[in-house]
Amino acid sequence: MSGVRKSFGAFRALDDASLNIGWGEVHAILGENGAGKSTLMNVAAGLYSADAGSLVIDGQPCAFSGPRDAIAHGVGMIHQHFKLVNRFNAVENVMLASPRGSYRQGLAEVSRDIKRHADAIGFSVDLQQPVGMLSIAEQQRVEILKALVAGARILILDEPTAVLADDEAAKLLQTVQGLSRSGVAAVLITHKLRDVQKFADRVTVMRAGRTIATLDARTAPSDELTMLAVGSKIVPPIRRAHSSGIERLIVRGLSYGPSERPRLRQVSFSVREGEIYGIAGVGGNGQTELTDILAGVRKPTAGTIELAQPLGGHFDLTSGGPGDRRDSGFATVPADRQGQAIASSISVAENYAIAHVHEGKFGPWYFVSRASMRETAVSAIREADVQGVRSVFQRAGLLSGGNAQKLVMEREFSREPSIIVVHSPSRGLDVRACAAIHRRLLAARDDGVAVVLISEDLDEVLGLSDRIGVMTAGRIVAEFDAPADRQAIGRAMVGHV
Amino acid sequence: MQDFVITWLSSVPSLALPYALASVGLIVSERAGVLSLGAEGLMLVGALAGVGGYILSDGSDLAALSASMIAAGIVSLLFAALVVGLRVNQVIAGLAIVFFCQGLTNLIGTLTGWQNRAIAGMPDLPLGSLENLPIIGPVLFRHDLLVYLLVPVCWAVNRVLNSTNLGFRLRAVGENPAAADAAGISVPGTRILAIVAGAMLIGLAGGYLSVVSAKLWIAGMTSGRGWIAVALVIFARWKPMQALMGAFLFGGIEALIPQLNAAGVKLPQYYLVMTPYLATLAVMIWQALGSRPASEAPAALGQPYVREERP
Amino acid sequence: MSDQTTGAVVPAPPSQPKVAAKRRRQLVLELRLDMPLWARGLISVSAALLGLIISAAILALAGVEPSSLLTEFASAVADPQSLRAILNQSAPLILVGIAASIAFRARFWNLGLEGQMIMGGIAATAVSLGGIGSDDARIFLMGLASALAGIAWVAIPLALKFFLKINEIIATLLLNYVAQYALYDLLFGAWKDPVDSFPHSASYSAAERLPVLAGWLQVGMIVAVLLVLLAFWALQISRAGFYLRFIHANAAMADRMGVKTGRIVAAVVVASGAIAGLAGFVIPSGMEGRLTQGFFEGYGFSGVLIAFLAQSNPLAAGVVAVLVATLFVVGQSLQIFYQIPFAMVQLIQAIIVMCVAGADFFVRHRIILQR
Repeated sequence: MSGVRKSFGAFRALDDASLNIGWGEVHAILGENGAGKSTLMNVAAGLYSADAGSLVIDGQPCAFSGPRDAIAHGVGMIHQHFKLVNRFNAVENVMLASPRGSYRQGLAEVSRDIKRHADAIGFSVDLQQPVGMLSIAEQQRVEILKALVAGARILILDEPTAVLADDEAAKLLQTVQGLSRSGVAAVLITHKLRDVQKFADRVTVMRAGRTIATLDARTAPSDELTMLAVGSKIVPPIRRAHSSGIERLIVRGLSYGPSERPRLRQVSFSVREGEIYGIAGVGGNGQTELTDILAGVRKPTAGTIELAQPLGGHFDLTSGGPGDRRDSGFATVPADRQGQAIASSISVAENYAIAHVHEGKFGPWYFVSRASMRETAVSAIREADVQGVRSVFQRAGLLSGGNAQKLVMEREFSREPSIIVVHSPSRGLDVRACAAIHRRLLAARDDGVAVVLISEDLDEVLGLSDRIGVMTAGRIVAEFDAPADRQAIGRAMVGHV
Repeated sequence: MQDFVITWLSSVPSLALPYALASVGLIVSERAGVLSLGAEGLMLVGALAGVGGYILSDGSDLAALSASMIAAGIVSLLFAALVVGLRVNQVIAGLAIVFFCQGLTNLIGTLTGWQNRAIAGMPDLPLGSLENLPIIGPVLFRHDLLVYLLVPVCWAVNRVLNSTNLGFRLRAVGENPAAADAAGISVPGTRILAIVAGAMLIGLAGGYLSVVSAKLWIAGMTSGRGWIAVALVIFARWKPMQALMGAFLFGGIEALIPQLNAAGVKLPQYYLVMTPYLATLAVMIWQALGSRPASEAPAALGQPYVREERP
Repeated sequence: MSDQTTGAVVPAPPSQPKVAAKRRRQLVLELRLDMPLWARGLISVSAALLGLIISAAILALAGVEPSSLLTEFASAVADPQSLRAILNQSAPLILVGIAASIAFRARFWNLGLEGQMIMGGIAATAVSLGGIGSDDARIFLMGLASALAGIAWVAIPLALKFFLKINEIIATLLLNYVAQYALYDLLFGAWKDPVDSFPHSASYSAAERLPVLAGWLQVGMIVAVLLVLLAFWALQISRAGFYLRFIHANAAMADRMGVKTGRIVAAVVVASGAIAGLAGFVIPSGMEGRLTQGFFEGYGFSGVLIAFLAQSNPLAAGVVAVLVATLFVVGQSLQIFYQIPFAMVQLIQAIIVMCVAGADFFVRHRIILQR
């Protein structure tokens, strides 16, 4: 690929990006969130059309008119968010990309093709179950088989290990290496340095829409790669040793979900004042449900949530709603920013103000004052270093992920909560914004707040937490004190209940 | 008593047919992800076009019913342009189409003088000596051609949906348009096809009402059947054969009204007429109290799809 | 498939911005920056005008020449008598417009406006026929009864949605039909006018009719204007309105923030039903003087249309309602002088909605030609 440019409106996603990939190699594209890696590969896979630039395969210039065209030329992409039809089973999903003459016959043919490819690379997949019921790792395998059966010789994987536990990720990348040895050109989009160094042959670093450099993956030093990807040195915030206070939040026996397939099973843990309790685990093991229950948005089917009172005794919060939780000093930052934490079509100022409106900060019930909202919002934005705000009355949806998250955190912290629950706070954020968020959480902890950090990013959990609970299949299966052994945690994550 | 049951049952298929065809037509477009609330309007268009076609072709049933299907198909293109082309909210577009059709059919019906003009319509087609069989004779074998074709048509739609590549692609578009798009299926093309095909069935349902059942056109003659069909689709969990059964249930209820009157049962007339609507509400309530209805819906129902949005 | 490059590394020509023509390959991008308000307004108004032009074309086909259409329109706004008719017609239209607007702000598709109007009319007539209350108080009691009836009728689909998650679009529509037949049952039966045996109720007495002030200002209009101001205050200025905007934009988030979404939505929907019920009182009492068979016809969709064009803004809804009232009055004279059925008004409204809804596409998207 050469000289590729692509803009979305005023935003330039790709600026003269170029890439050179050989057959039989595992080529990593390394970069931070928002660097343009996915966009570039979406162009290669025919989903986007570039504004400028060229694509050449085996010496033949190509300009794909759509995904079908790309598939026909042997380019297959496995996206971060799988393009699978949940209600169909694996065979039907694979057949989507490789249509056959007749439906019934096609299903049989495709079935055979799948088995052939799966055996060749050592996959095992349940072909009959609706894909929506399969585990994430299995769904990913279906996606890979889909591309292979459709005849992909160039396989693009977008952040494949983001949703996998450590050893599942290792297995996957080994399989990819195996595929490349059989001649397939594998492109690995990732922001994880470790994966690049262990599994890739060469790596191209991208930053801000540009391809900065291409290096040999095994020999390039970590520092240099990070420097290229980020552009400057970022010092990650350091967690200082800190003595925590008394137990503040006590969660006992939380269960949730239908009895045949509960999402949470008897979850119990406690968090002290001035402590960060990290909950590690691969996504989909009940983290979202737990966050929602702690926020008061969902009701558990069993169990209690209690707050220790300063003068002794416990206050049972379980039956209250979100308003009650907030009044008791809770603040929650959900993972789904656009869906749950921000109202995109409403202004930045109002998105910030809503946390305080009910206490009368902006006027009585019959009159809400825009002017006072503006002042408060302006100072909040300055405090939290939120960029990209031309006017506090612009739509909040225009903020980038990192800035939106900074706004959300500022809003939640402004209420001076005593307990903070955050779920995947740095998902989709670039390194700078990440560091800012982490700094904020550590500062809160130093101030005596009890912090629950639920995250699928093990590095984040390890870096910030004082104590770590590992969540698998809706249960806390193990607890560790910091500094914790990564291997032990990894084992606990895939352990069976 | 036996006579009552026989007369009642033999009038059911004819009353069930509009519900059945309309809901199957809706299923076709909804399985592709398009919520088509315009059914009430499309049925009216089909009904008017049916009478118009009959009059203009000097009494040809085939012309009349073809006109119903084609007219509804053309109007549905307008709906498709709004919903697939201009990404208008499907609820608003559907409502607008209904009122557009109500106004348009009323206008044309009055201006052309087709309103209130009785036609000979389509006759019953008793199946030879079969119709003389005791009990089941009149119930099953003394109907018009369309009723005989009803079950095969529904079965055929079911088969196409579930066992052909065409139906497979349509279902994929309705469940996850992004996945279908990435696999190379044309989402807009499939949806437009589904909308028009569904509309033709709905138009036929309307045409049946005017050309076969009532044998004339009056403004607003569908009286909410289109809305009942929309509810029926949910009740049938988007499956054509179940929609057919539901249609027979509603046809049965509707058939009861004149029978009770004829039998001399003295019930307030207008309250009897209310029964289909109340029955629909009752069915919706009963279903909601039961299992998990919404999870059966095509996953992408009602959501417009654009490929090149800012990620 | 158009050929893009012939060599190996040749950049393609740059894109052309904002060409509306669509070629074989067209890219649609979302206009992320807000379009300035004036531009959005301009597009909406142009779309509405387009709708009117299309309608005029249809009318021309139906035998009404555009020139006579214009003179009709001009005389409608110039003649004081027809101005009074417009004003009278505006009152119930403003009411249904507001009722629809506030319900939509709560994401509740209240398509049962006609049913609520019918129940309101029935309740008011019941008070009148029953002679409840003194002559002075009766008209207030009628108004109150109509509002309560509207509330009761909307409470059914509201409860169904709240407790059973049943879609309110179908529920409200079905209840329209139920209400309509209940009305027929009364008008053709127990409430048939003893004087002339027509299917309308006995005339209201003078005390039961909404008075006209200074010879031209209908009290119903005053009520409508007051409600516009009240709705404006509630939606734009009050704290509940602030919360409502969040509920509309992102109900899950509002919940999380501790907003009592259930209560606010319920309150708004109930208010919507009350106002629609009130409209059902204003028409018999202010315009027709009795309960008639078809008094509600056309108001359901008109309400939705007004709310849609006004983007659920109460002040805009008031203005749009007056425009729709003009359309109604012109439609009536078309019916009298040119034998165009009143359904034409419904058709025109639908065409305008489709044009404006379609035009929104150009507000949200920018088309770029890609070669």
